[in-house]
Amino acid sequence: MDTPKKITDIQTASIVISSIIGVGVLPLPLFAVRAGNTAAPIVTLIGIAISLFALFIITVLGMRHPNKTIFGYSEEILGKWLGRFCNIFVILFFALLTALGSREFGAVVTTAILRETPIEVTVLVMLLLAAITSRNDLNTFAYIHTFYLPVIISPVVIIVVLSLQNANALYLQPLLGNDIGDMFKGSLTIASLCQWSFVLTIIIPLMLNPKRAMRTGMTGLLIAGGILLMLVVASVAVFGAEETKKLLWPTLELARTTTLPGDLLQRMDVVFLTVWVTAVFTTLLSGYTFICHALSGLFRLRDHKIFSFSLLPIIFVLSMLPGNLLQMYKVIEFVGRFGLIVTIGYPCILLAIDLIRNKRGKRSAPTNM
Amino acid sequence: MFLFRKNRKKLKTKPMEQKAAQNGKETITLRDDLQDSVTYLEKFLGQNEDIVFRHFRIFGNFSAFLCYFSEHANPSEINTDILKPLMYPPEHIEKNPPDISNLVEVMIKEVLYQSKVKTITDWEVLIEGLFQGDTIMLIDGVNSGLKIGTRKLKERSIDEPRTELVVLGPREGFIEQLGTNIGLLRYRLPTSDLVIKTMKIGKFTKTKVAVCYIKSVTDPELIKEVEDRLSKIEFDSVLDSGIIEQFIEDNPYSPFPQIQTTERPDRTVGNLIEGRVAILTQGSPFALILPTVFNQFYQTTEDYTNRFLMGNFIRMIRILALVFSLIFPSMYVSFIAFNPELLPTEFAVAVSGGRAGVPFPAVIEVLVIEVAMEILREATVRLPQQVGGALSIVGVLIIGQAAVEAGFASPVTVVVIAIATIGSFATPVYTAAFALRMLRFPILILAGTFGLYGVVIGAILIFNHMLSLKSFGVPYMSPVSPPDKEGMKDVVVRSPLWKMKSRPRFLQPQDIDRVGAKTQDLRDRRRVPGPFDDSN
Repeated sequence: MDTPKKITDIQTASIVISSIIGVGVLPLPLFAVRAGNTAAPIVTLIGIAISLFALFIITVLGMRHPNKTIFGYSEEILGKWLGRFCNIFVILFFALLTALGSREFGAVVTTAILRETPIEVTVLVMLLLAAITSRNDLNTFAYIHTFYLPVIISPVVIIVVLSLQNANALYLQPLLGNDIGDMFKGSLTIASLCQWSFVLTIIIPLMLNPKRAMRTGMTGLLIAGGILLMLVVASVAVFGAEETKKLLWPTLELARTTTLPGDLLQRMDVVFLTVWVTAVFTTLLSGYTFICHALSGLFRLRDHKIFSFSLLPIIFVLSMLPGNLLQMYKVIEFVGRFGLIVTIGYPCILLAIDLIRNKRGKRSAPTNM
Repeated sequence: MFLFRKNRKKLKTKPMEQKAAQNGKETITLRDDLQDSVTYLEKFLGQNEDIVFRHFRIFGNFSAFLCYFSEHANPSEINTDILKPLMYPPEHIEKNPPDISNLVEVMIKEVLYQSKVKTITDWEVLIEGLFQGDTIMLIDGVNSGLKIGTRKLKERSIDEPRTELVVLGPREGFIEQLGTNIGLLRYRLPTSDLVIKTMKIGKFTKTKVAVCYIKSVTDPELIKEVEDRLSKIEFDSVLDSGIIEQFIEDNPYSPFPQIQTTERPDRTVGNLIEGRVAILTQGSPFALILPTVFNQFYQTTEDYTNRFLMGNFIRMIRILALVFSLIFPSMYVSFIAFNPELLPTEFAVAVSGGRAGVPFPAVIEVLVIEVAMEILREATVRLPQQVGGALSIVGVLIIGQAAVEAGFASPVTVVVIAIATIGSFATPVYTAAFALRMLRFPILILAGTFGLYGVVIGAILIFNHMLSLKSFGVPYMSPVSPPDKEGMKDVVVRSPLWKMKSRPRFLQPQDIDRVGAKTQDLRDRRRVPGPFDDSN
């Protein structure tokens, strides 16, 4: 890699946080409540724990090979061709994830604010935005994530705080759920929302201090997880479990119930949604950049820029595949859970083989925290 | 003259051809034959009206020749300090006259009342000096000429800077003459650390460009990069620092200025001390300051000369104005055209009442008024001052009152545009205000197409562009992103001066500390007990 190693700890944590917090946050309480009723917070916690494990695996791998991305060391561990074959699946999965993310947000925008605009336009605008920006190098990518972080976190915090006036602690009880199987399934869905943190695998080799990747990555994920948990708790506390099940995007409804003191603006949800464009953009940017860099790694190219626009039609077509909103969410849930094989299973296998062969990177790093 | 006949025979051809043939290099050295050189000079420059040729005899003995451009040099100085002592030598010279071998040395050391005298053998250098207002003197039998600094330029007096006015602060601004500008910097920085290197750029203009920096602070890599980029400029006319700016900036297609221009010596010195490099150009009252980051564009020297609270209050107002100038019209359009439900009901009713007679959609209405405003603004800049004042009143009347009455625009639109326009005047750096003025139009169109969603998309595009910009290797949005803890003390709000302990780290200064230990102690105690202090 020619880009100088300059990504700092704060930037790494920001990348993890703003990649995770994206459009998936809008239906998040619904997923959690469907799986566990009032136990939704517990479901979320388990989901975060699963993704912490996933992050742990990829960070250990990254720290064992501090100069290589996942596309570099997987070929080293599995052999050139098998490694490439597996990596194609990773790329395909992320292409699908990015496509579905943009589609989901396009659906939100056409439903909530731009009712007369065709969904194709809103999706294309978001994808274009990500494509244009993905032409920058990874250091700029890190600057972008750091810069937007306050814009992403503050609306969520404001909405959670403001919605507390309508909250009822009784709605949160009982804390524990009944159906363990359902709860676990829901946790997997929530873990799948966090798999954007997989982008860390291409960031670690550019970190100023790769040894601290574990700490910063985990901190980032914990902050993002905390925000997700706050949202789930707030929407269950405001609407109750049964009511939440009827809402498509409970987070958006949460914004709708809140008003700013002073009656400056009548409705908050539109403002929330427009600010939210930033969060969705950073998430899509992570996905898009990941694919571009992965492809250039796969084809041994120095420049990732050629992929940024040539990929656009493919991702756009992928995003248009689901017929309607309900079908889309079925696909999202399925793809998300299937993706856990890619983002947890695959790195686990890599790590296991790596440990067995004990084939270390150039600068070996301690494997535990 | 007779003595040197022999030499003249050798020299049949012009001095120019002679040397060029000898070693193929461009340097042409002077010959000791006076008549030949004079003929050459007359042929070369004789058609110019403003050149003065003067033959005379040094100490009544040696034939000599002197020439200068009459409007470019100072004739009285030439008469009294050069001609007079040479033609009417001091007593000790008359008693002990020098011969041809040590004539030049005696002249420089004992006779000429001039500090800037140089012996030069290269024709080219000599001629160049002549064009810069120096006087050149040739002596028969001496194979070098004298270049005497008699330059005198017409210059205007030091004025208050026109583009960067302050209420509290120095009133001096740069002028066109490089020498005066360097003087303005020197007296503010009486230290050997201030280095001023000059070079000449431009095929015809041969513009003198000075690179200024503080030796012990500025990053040497940065200085090297600046000099490197400057040395690569090969262009026929360098008339202003703006031309140099266009050749050395990182991204010429960006709307944002990546190099700050300033008329203020105090601002320049402040930036030099922070570890930046300033480029002064002969003939331009604007210094270039680099590297530049975005937050410099809403900072003024007043932020620092004012007391902590006042300075910050003004700065926040300025940031607000900057944001207004960029997105206020587009926010208005998206509220009116897409999301009127966001507005409080009474206000929404009032706005739509005002718009009742307007036939156009809100975007068109705002665009038309915006364009009218831009035309008005450009016209007021170009018009003579006496007419300008009258025009702006007429313009405001027409656009404000009459447009509303004619049903061309709603009153709220006019208010919105007015706020945005005034906002752009509050941005202290003209080039940055210009960028935002321009970017207002694409955002407006986005707002007209997608409403608030479009505004955010536009803002994200602009911010992403700014985040990817670099000015001489320094990220444009430093110290916000990449974040720098010390630098954050001077972004939206500036810390008290003694708390800004270090220079901006993103400039990679060699010396980071700004505040000495004594001040830190004093300020930690917060308060020095005074003579009237009861508690003491």
